[in-house]
Amino acid sequence: LESSSSQRPRRRDWTKLIYSSDLTPAQILSSNKEEDSRESEEISTEIDEFFHVKKSDSTNDDETLDQTKDPLNPRALQQWEDEEMLDSIRNLFITGASGDADE
Amino acid sequence: MTLPSSLIQFSGHHYIRHRLVLSILSGKPIRIDKIRPDDKNPGLRDYEISLLRILEKATNGTVIEISVTGTALLLKPGIISGGTLTHECPLSRSVGYFLDPLIMLAPFAKKPFQLTLRGITTDDHDLSVDLIRTVTLPHLQLFGISDGLELRIKKRGSPPAGGGEVHFLCPIVKQVTTLNFIEPGKIKRIRGIAHAVRVSPQFSNRMIEASRSVLNRYIPDIYLYSDVYKGEDSGKSPGYALSLLAESTTSAIYCAEATSQPGVAPEDVALLATRSLLAEISKGGCVDERHQTLVLLMMVLGSEDVGRCRMGEPTLRTIQFLRDVHSLFGTTFKIVPAESSGSSNQLMYSCYGTGYVNVNRSLA
Repeated sequence: LESSSSQRPRRRDWTKLIYSSDLTPAQILSSNKEEDSRESEEISTEIDEFFHVKKSDSTNDDETLDQTKDPLNPRALQQWEDEEMLDSIRNLFITGASGDADE
Repeated sequence: MTLPSSLIQFSGHHYIRHRLVLSILSGKPIRIDKIRPDDKNPGLRDYEISLLRILEKATNGTVIEISVTGTALLLKPGIISGGTLTHECPLSRSVGYFLDPLIMLAPFAKKPFQLTLRGITTDDHDLSVDLIRTVTLPHLQLFGISDGLELRIKKRGSPPAGGGEVHFLCPIVKQVTTLNFIEPGKIKRIRGIAHAVRVSPQFSNRMIEASRSVLNRYIPDIYLYSDVYKGEDSGKSPGYALSLLAESTTSAIYCAEATSQPGVAPEDVALLATRSLLAEISKGGCVDERHQTLVLLMMVLGSEDVGRCRMGEPTLRTIQFLRDVHSLFGTTFKIVPAESSGSSNQLMYSCYGTGYVNVNRSLA
């Protein structure tokens, strides 16, 4: 199972991950994202070992609410201040060009 | 008391809502233990107790046992009775917290739900009543649940004191139809609701203007509505929020919202909501992340045929939900990368419906 935590190919077998692995949902997702802010926070706590936050098995112990909306992340949303970023999704609107639907 | 052998065990306070729903729909008893055993304040929270209470009221013959410490509970589901109900939601959670599971149960009741909920109508944790009305309920229509489906916002209630009131009306169905939703389409219109209670009504207009400054570039069909509630109808606390939705040519709906925070200008709240909507749109798919579980549940309950839906990657909640569906209904989804999705991470979810029939339904 050690390969699951390291770099894995882009194509993931979700059916297998969900139904026939013992990974927690958080582990499944954290072995996935690269720019996920939650993960970057985890990395930063690893670096800052002096301030060690007691977080044994982060999925079970801390009081995360059973909530429908994930909290907004203003820092991650800042990328949408960028004009290029705003233009990148034009093809998803009826007014946008349909042919060159790359990035 | 002797425990039935079919009892299904869960641990922890996470995902309590969907586990209770799945138990009631499948008719299988569940036991949830280790509910915050090591917390300073162990056991169930007031809103969880309140949820159990409303589930007890909405059903007939349900047995709920809670251990002395409150760290374990046993649910033996009865039938979903529905009918006219009123519930005071605690101020620790918004009415969205309670509506989320009730919406999953309501179509399968004996009598149509006519539910009155009082409390906080918009907060940061669960969908606001505006998004439930404009986004969640249309998702039920995908499954043939539509006539008489309504959420009326009578009074608004901002945290902390609440004071809001909503009426939820839901028709009952015999069966839900099989979903085949694989074409996300393109965004054709954007709608929004801005509301400001017990603060200057100008705040709504300021939010609308800020949001338009970003959205106007994309399409002309944008209508952001300033929803005014006055006097008693505006609840007990000041607050404002902007709820946005984008609808595609194939009726895929993406939504986002942001609520007032101390020291944050209405413009910034609006920009947060707007950018969050753009982030949702960029993820694509036919169903947004917050509605994955609702859609997947209805696919499981669909007629005995293969239902398909294209969505983004599963969220934490969705992954656990799929596992719990497997334990209670035995249904496994096939999840494969969507063809022609290019560089995106969209997936095709498909499953064979269980052919769930609403046996509670009283024949008129």
